[in-house]
Amino acid sequence: MAEPAARQDPESPAPVDEEALVRQARRGDLEAYDELVRRYQERIYATIYHMTSNHEDANDLAQESFIKAFQALKTFKGGSSFYTWLYRIAVNKTINFLKQRKNRSHMSLNDLDFNAEHDPDLVALISDKTPRREAGLAELQEKLNGAMLKLSEPHRLVVVLHDVQGLSHDEIAKIMDCNIGTVRSRLFYARQQLQGYLSDYLRPT
Amino acid sequence: MNESENNFESLRRLLALKRHEIPPPGYFNNFPRQVMARLRAGEADVPQAIAAPSWLLKFFQAFEAKPAYVSSFACSLCLLLLFGIVYAERPDATEKSSIFSALAAPTVSLVDAKSAVYSSSPQPTGLMVNTNPVLSLEPVAMLFGQQNPLAQPVSLSLPGNN
Repeated sequence: MAEPAARQDPESPAPVDEEALVRQARRGDLEAYDELVRRYQERIYATIYHMTSNHEDANDLAQESFIKAFQALKTFKGGSSFYTWLYRIAVNKTINFLKQRKNRSHMSLNDLDFNAEHDPDLVALISDKTPRREAGLAELQEKLNGAMLKLSEPHRLVVVLHDVQGLSHDEIAKIMDCNIGTVRSRLFYARQQLQGYLSDYLRPT
Repeated sequence: MNESENNFESLRRLLALKRHEIPPPGYFNNFPRQVMARLRAGEADVPQAIAAPSWLLKFFQAFEAKPAYVSSFACSLCLLLLFGIVYAERPDATEKSSIFSALAAPTVSLVDAKSAVYSSSPQPTGLMVNTNPVLSLEPVAMLFGQQNPLAQPVSLSLPGNN
């Protein structure tokens, strides 16, 4: 019989140890796994969404990634953190999906939150200093996602993980199973490409 | 280099827009429930033997991804079918097959001999003869009132029935 999952009590601020949750989930404790899903769902979903630019695809792939991770928990040796391991599963699933979907992509973009209109950086981008003065945030969002989809999957992934998700080069190298130099060069090349695609929307320095 | 970095800085600011893209309200409340429901439904416990083999999935996925594969596969199937039909229609092919079948089943010659008596038309050789059932060895009444040449009228007299 699996131990009951040690859920986070609202009165006790100390978060439950991730390793304990993983151990319990490995024994088949779905409540423990539910806690792990809650912890990482936003980051996993966001990564997949930014890779696909499609909410429905991101939803399906994120669910499948968590299910696959649960199935494969017995093979998780703990060499890396659960988070990195989970990320790897989601990323591989997404890249395989994108390879199959090639030339059949269509965007299904999420709405922008309220804060976007008040973000000073974004406001500056659509200000009168931008070549495309008429560009609204929605148009900018569409152009940005379109430009992202033009990148190859590995280049798009480094941009998503570093510039959108804020992961370090080291973490990205672990997730992508490559060295840091490769991550850096891919990031540089991807940024150059994006800069070319979005030159009309970038503020001149 | 500095200019390039500045340009990238501008790009990074633009990329920050993506952080403001959010899924529909309540999405993350339902998400764990959906995952758990799928796990409880036993999706995680599908044995590998029952699930479709990975090579088969890859095979179909290749078709899905590249329509050219589908058309070339369909063309090759059609060609194979045509070749089969043409080969079956060739007379030398049927002769060869009759030789092979005769070698395989020597009792067929008896069937040929018997059936030649019952029918005036030349019997087809090869597979058609070989697939005749053994029951055809027995004399069969002819249609339309014609008498079977081997059939003889039988007068049956039972004792005490005079």
